[in-house]
Amino acid sequence: MPEISLFKEVSLHHYLILSALIFSIGMIGVMMRKNLIVILMSIELMLNAVNLTFVAFSYYLNHLDGQILVFFIMTIAAAEVAVGLAIAIAIFKKFKKVDIHFFERLKG
Amino acid sequence: MEGLLFYILAAFILVFSLAVIVVANPIFSALFLVLSMISLAFMFFLLQAYFIATVQLIVYAGAVMVLFLMVLMLFDLKKEIDIFSSGQRLGGLKIASAGLLTGLLLWSIHYSIGLFQLQPEKVLDAQGQMEQTKTLSVILFTKYLFAFEALGFLLLLIAIGVVALSRIKGGTHARD
Repeated sequence: MPEISLFKEVSLHHYLILSALIFSIGMIGVMMRKNLIVILMSIELMLNAVNLTFVAFSYYLNHLDGQILVFFIMTIAAAEVAVGLAIAIAIFKKFKKVDIHFFERLKG
Repeated sequence: MEGLLFYILAAFILVFSLAVIVVANPIFSALFLVLSMISLAFMFFLLQAYFIATVQLIVYAGAVMVLFLMVLMLFDLKKEIDIFSSGQRLGGLKIASAGLLTGLLLWSIHYSIGLFQLQPEKVLDAQGQMEQTKTLSVILFTKYLFAFEALGFLLLLIAIGVVALSRIKGGTHARD
Protein backbone atom coordinates (compact mmCIF):
# COMPACT_ATOMS: atom_id res chain seq x y z
CA MET A 1 0.00 0.00 0.00
CA PRO A 2 1.70 3.19 -1.12
CA GLU A 3 2.02 6.04 1.32
CA ILE A 4 -0.03 8.52 -0.70
CA SER A 5 -3.29 6.61 -0.59
CA LEU A 6 -3.26 6.67 3.21
CA PHE A 7 -4.32 10.31 3.10
CA LYS A 8 -6.32 10.32 -0.11
CA GLU A 9 -9.15 7.98 0.69
CA VAL A 10 -10.49 6.38 3.83
CA SER A 11 -10.80 2.62 4.00
CA LEU A 12 -11.66 -0.03 6.57
CA HIS A 13 -8.04 0.11 7.67
CA HIS A 14 -8.40 3.61 9.04
CA TYR A 15 -11.49 2.88 11.07
CA LEU A 16 -9.96 -0.26 12.57
CA ILE A 17 -6.76 1.58 13.52
CA LEU A 18 -8.73 4.42 15.11
CA SER A 19 -10.81 1.89 17.01
CA ALA A 20 -7.69 0.10 18.27
CA LEU A 21 -6.28 3.41 19.49
CA ILE A 22 -9.46 4.37 21.35
CA PHE A 23 -9.58 0.91 22.90
CA SER A 24 -6.01 1.26 24.15
CA ILE A 25 -6.72 4.69 25.62
CA GLY A 26 -9.69 3.23 27.46
CA MET A 27 -7.60 0.31 28.71
CA ILE A 28 -4.89 2.63 30.02
CA GLY A 29 -7.59 4.61 31.80
CA VAL A 30 -9.01 1.46 33.43
CA MET A 31 -5.59 0.39 34.62
CA MET A 32 -4.20 3.74 35.72
CA ARG A 33 -6.96 5.82 37.23
CA LYS A 34 -7.94 5.78 40.88
CA ASN A 35 -11.45 7.18 40.73
CA LEU A 36 -14.09 4.50 40.20
CA ILE A 37 -16.32 6.78 38.12
CA VAL A 38 -13.50 7.59 35.71
CA ILE A 39 -12.78 3.86 35.42
CA LEU A 40 -16.42 3.33 34.41
CA MET A 41 -16.03 6.10 31.83
CA SER A 42 -12.94 4.38 30.43
CA ILE A 43 -14.95 1.17 30.09
CA GLU A 44 -17.48 3.18 28.09
CA LEU A 45 -14.63 4.34 25.84
CA MET A 46 -13.61 0.74 25.21
CA LEU A 47 -17.19 -0.26 24.39
CA ASN A 48 -17.42 2.68 22.00
CA ALA A 49 -14.28 1.55 20.24
CA VAL A 50 -15.87 -1.88 19.71
CA ASN A 51 -19.03 -0.19 18.42
CA LEU A 52 -16.96 1.72 15.88
CA THR A 53 -15.42 -1.54 14.67
CA PHE A 54 -18.85 -3.12 14.24
CA VAL A 55 -20.28 -0.18 12.35
CA ALA A 56 -17.24 0.05 10.09
CA PHE A 57 -17.44 -3.64 9.23
CA SER A 58 -21.17 -3.33 8.70
CA TYR A 59 -20.56 -0.53 6.21
CA TYR A 60 -17.70 -2.09 4.30
CA LEU A 61 -19.09 -5.62 4.18
CA ASN A 62 -22.57 -4.27 3.37
CA HIS A 63 -24.17 -6.36 6.10
CA LEU A 64 -26.59 -5.02 8.70
CA ASP A 65 -26.01 -7.57 11.48
CA GLY A 66 -23.15 -5.49 12.85
CA GLN A 67 -25.49 -2.60 13.59
CA ILE A 68 -27.86 -4.92 15.48
CA LEU A 69 -24.94 -5.98 17.62
CA VAL A 70 -24.08 -2.33 18.30
CA PHE A 71 -27.67 -1.84 19.42
CA PHE A 72 -27.30 -4.68 21.92
CA ILE A 73 -23.93 -3.44 23.15
CA MET A 74 -25.38 -0.01 23.86
CA THR A 75 -28.19 -1.53 25.93
CA ILE A 76 -25.78 -3.69 27.91
CA ALA A 77 -23.50 -0.69 28.44
CA ALA A 78 -26.35 1.39 29.85
CA ALA A 79 -27.29 -1.43 32.23
CA GLU A 80 -23.66 -1.87 33.26
CA VAL A 81 -23.32 1.84 34.01
CA ALA A 82 -26.43 1.72 36.19
CA VAL A 83 -25.09 -1.18 38.26
CA GLY A 84 -21.58 0.30 38.47
CA LEU A 85 -22.84 3.65 39.66
CA ALA A 86 -25.07 1.98 42.26
CA ILE A 87 -22.02 0.15 43.60
CA ALA A 88 -20.06 3.41 43.55
CA ILE A 89 -22.76 5.11 45.62
CA ALA A 90 -22.74 2.21 48.09
CA ILE A 91 -18.96 2.55 48.43
CA PHE A 92 -19.23 6.32 48.80
CA LYS A 93 -21.77 5.98 51.60
CA LYS A 94 -19.27 3.96 53.63
CA PHE A 95 -15.95 5.60 52.89
CA LYS A 96 -16.81 9.12 51.65
CA LYS A 97 -14.54 8.48 48.65
CA VAL A 98 -14.78 6.41 45.48
CA ASP A 99 -11.23 5.15 45.20
CA ILE A 100 -10.68 1.78 43.59
CA HIS A 101 -8.45 0.85 46.53
CA PHE A 102 -11.47 0.30 48.74
CA PHE A 103 -12.32 -2.71 46.60
CA GLU A 104 -9.17 -4.47 47.74
CA ARG A 105 -10.57 -5.36 51.10
CA LEU A 106 -14.19 -6.12 50.51
CA LYS A 107 -15.86 -8.66 52.73
CA GLY A 108 -19.31 -10.04 53.47
CA MET B 1 -13.92 15.51 1.28
CA GLU B 2 -14.89 12.38 3.16
CA GLY B 3 -11.26 11.73 3.98
CA LEU B 4 -10.84 15.20 5.43
CA LEU B 5 -13.97 14.77 7.55
CA PHE B 6 -12.67 11.43 8.80
CA TYR B 7 -9.34 12.87 9.87
CA ILE B 8 -10.91 15.84 11.66
CA LEU B 9 -13.35 13.59 13.53
CA ALA B 10 -10.61 11.08 14.34
CA ALA B 11 -8.43 13.83 15.79
CA PHE B 12 -11.35 15.09 17.88
CA ILE B 13 -12.14 11.61 19.19
CA LEU B 14 -8.53 10.83 20.08
CA VAL B 15 -7.90 14.16 21.81
CA PHE B 16 -11.13 14.02 23.80
CA SER B 17 -10.61 10.37 24.77
CA LEU B 18 -7.11 11.17 25.96
CA ALA B 19 -8.45 14.13 27.91
CA VAL B 20 -10.95 11.83 29.67
CA ILE B 21 -8.21 9.80 31.30
CA VAL B 22 -5.72 12.65 31.87
CA VAL B 23 -7.87 15.42 33.37
CA ALA B 24 -7.90 15.46 37.18
CA ASN B 25 -11.46 16.62 37.79
CA PRO B 26 -14.01 13.82 37.15
CA ILE B 27 -16.66 16.30 36.01
CA PHE B 28 -14.36 17.49 33.24
CA SER B 29 -13.71 13.83 32.40
CA ALA B 30 -17.44 13.31 31.97
CA LEU B 31 -17.79 16.38 29.78
CA PHE B 32 -14.89 15.30 27.58
CA LEU B 33 -16.51 11.87 27.31
CA VAL B 34 -19.68 13.56 26.06
CA LEU B 35 -17.67 15.39 23.39
CA SER B 36 -15.94 12.17 22.38
CA MET B 37 -19.26 10.35 22.05
CA ILE B 38 -20.77 13.13 19.96
CA SER B 39 -17.78 13.01 17.62
CA LEU B 40 -18.21 9.24 17.41
CA ALA B 41 -21.89 9.72 16.56
CA PHE B 42 -20.86 11.96 13.67
CA MET B 43 -18.46 9.26 12.56
CA PHE B 44 -21.39 6.83 12.52
CA PHE B 45 -23.21 9.30 10.28
CA LEU B 46 -20.15 9.23 8.05
CA LEU B 47 -20.43 5.44 7.92
CA GLN B 48 -24.11 5.78 6.95
CA ALA B 49 -25.38 4.09 10.08
CA TYR B 50 -28.03 6.73 10.68
CA PHE B 51 -30.17 4.91 13.19
CA ILE B 52 -27.17 3.86 15.29
CA ALA B 53 -25.81 7.40 15.21
CA THR B 54 -29.10 8.78 16.49
CA VAL B 55 -29.30 6.15 19.21
CA GLN B 56 -25.71 6.97 20.16
CA LEU B 57 -26.63 10.63 20.55
CA ILE B 58 -29.78 9.95 22.55
CA VAL B 59 -28.72 7.03 24.72
CA TYR B 60 -25.00 7.64 25.27
CA ALA B 61 -24.52 11.39 25.00
CA GLY B 62 -27.93 11.95 26.57
CA ALA B 63 -29.05 9.39 29.09
CA VAL B 64 -25.88 7.64 30.19
CA MET B 65 -23.84 10.81 30.54
CA VAL B 66 -26.60 12.55 32.49
CA LEU B 67 -26.53 9.55 34.84
CA PHE B 68 -22.77 9.93 35.22
CA LEU B 69 -22.99 13.67 35.88
CA MET B 70 -25.80 13.30 38.39
CA VAL B 71 -23.88 10.72 40.38
CA LEU B 72 -20.77 12.90 40.25
CA MET B 73 -22.71 15.85 41.58
CA LEU B 74 -24.11 13.67 44.33
CA PHE B 75 -20.61 13.15 45.61
CA ASP B 76 -18.75 15.76 47.53
CA LEU B 77 -15.85 16.26 45.15
CA LYS B 78 -12.58 17.47 46.41
CA LYS B 79 -9.58 18.21 44.26
CA GLU B 80 -7.80 14.96 43.68
CA ILE B 81 -4.10 15.09 44.47
CA ASP B 82 -2.85 12.00 42.66
CA ILE B 83 -5.22 10.72 40.06
CA PHE B 84 -3.26 7.64 39.05
CA SER B 85 -3.42 4.49 41.09
CA SER B 86 0.12 3.22 40.79
CA GLY B 87 3.70 4.43 41.17
CA GLN B 88 6.11 5.27 38.42
CA ARG B 89 7.50 1.79 37.79
CA LEU B 90 4.20 -0.08 37.87
CA GLY B 91 2.56 2.68 35.85
CA GLY B 92 5.24 2.41 33.20
CA LEU B 93 4.70 -1.34 33.11
CA LYS B 94 0.97 -0.84 32.61
CA ILE B 95 1.47 1.66 29.79
CA ALA B 96 4.03 -0.65 28.19
CA SER B 97 1.59 -3.57 28.29
CA ALA B 98 -1.15 -1.42 26.78
CA GLY B 99 1.28 -0.30 24.09
CA LEU B 100 2.17 -3.93 23.42
CA LEU B 101 -1.51 -4.78 22.97
CA THR B 102 -1.95 -1.81 20.65
CA GLY B 103 1.02 -2.94 18.59
CA LEU B 104 -0.39 -6.45 18.34
CA LEU B 105 -3.79 -5.10 17.29
CA LEU B 106 -2.31 -2.82 14.63
CA TRP B 107 -0.09 -5.62 13.37
CA SER B 108 -3.00 -8.05 13.08
CA ILE B 109 -5.13 -5.39 11.37
CA HIS B 110 -2.36 -4.78 8.89
CA TYR B 111 -2.00 -8.44 8.06
CA SER B 112 -5.65 -9.48 8.02
CA ILE B 113 -7.10 -6.62 6.00
CA GLY B 114 -6.67 -8.46 2.70
CA LEU B 115 -8.84 -11.35 3.86
CA PHE B 116 -12.15 -9.53 3.66
CA GLN B 117 -14.30 -9.39 0.58
CA LEU B 118 -15.01 -5.69 0.74
CA GLN B 119 -18.11 -4.50 -1.04
CA PRO B 120 -17.91 -1.33 -3.09
CA GLU B 121 -19.30 1.39 -0.85
CA LYS B 122 -22.36 3.21 -1.97
CA VAL B 123 -23.91 6.51 -1.01
CA LEU B 124 -27.47 6.14 0.18
CA ASP B 125 -30.10 8.66 -0.83
CA ALA B 126 -33.05 9.53 1.44
CA GLN B 127 -35.03 6.55 0.17
CA GLY B 128 -32.09 4.25 0.78
CA GLN B 129 -31.67 5.50 4.32
CA MET B 130 -35.30 4.75 5.11
CA GLU B 131 -34.94 1.34 3.54
CA GLN B 132 -31.88 0.67 5.67
CA THR B 133 -33.63 1.53 8.93
CA LYS B 134 -36.60 -0.56 7.89
CA THR B 135 -34.38 -3.55 7.14
CA LEU B 136 -32.66 -3.06 10.49
CA SER B 137 -35.94 -3.24 12.38
CA VAL B 138 -37.10 -6.25 10.40
CA ILE B 139 -33.90 -8.12 11.25
CA LEU B 140 -34.18 -7.07 14.88
CA PHE B 141 -37.69 -8.43 15.25
CA THR B 142 -37.27 -11.62 13.26
CA LYS B 143 -33.74 -13.01 13.31
CA TYR B 144 -32.75 -11.54 16.65
CA LEU B 145 -36.13 -11.72 18.36
CA PHE B 146 -34.96 -14.07 21.10
CA ALA B 147 -31.94 -11.92 21.90
CA PHE B 148 -34.20 -8.88 22.01
CA GLU B 149 -36.54 -10.53 24.49
CA ALA B 150 -33.63 -11.75 26.58
CA LEU B 151 -32.30 -8.20 26.63
CA GLY B 152 -35.63 -6.94 27.92
CA PHE B 153 -35.56 -9.52 30.68
CA LEU B 154 -31.98 -8.55 31.52
CA LEU B 155 -33.00 -4.90 31.82
CA LEU B 156 -35.78 -5.88 34.23
CA LEU B 157 -33.28 -7.83 36.31
CA ILE B 158 -30.88 -4.87 36.30
CA ALA B 159 -33.61 -2.49 37.44
CA ILE B 160 -34.54 -4.75 40.35
CA GLY B 161 -30.89 -5.35 41.18
CA VAL B 162 -30.00 -1.66 41.28
CA VAL B 163 -32.91 -0.92 43.59
CA ALA B 164 -31.85 -3.79 45.86
CA LEU B 165 -28.24 -2.62 45.75
CA SER B 166 -29.10 0.91 46.75
CA ARG B 167 -31.03 -0.30 49.76
CA ILE B 168 -28.31 -2.40 51.36
CA LYS B 169 -27.43 -1.65 54.92
CA GLY B 170 -24.39 -3.16 56.58
CA GLY B 171 -22.58 -5.55 54.29
CA THR B 172 -19.09 -4.45 53.47
CA HIS B 173 -17.23 -2.98 56.41
CA ALA B 174 -20.33 -2.19 58.42
CA ARG B 175 -19.27 -0.29 61.46
CA ASP B 176 -22.52 0.34 63.25
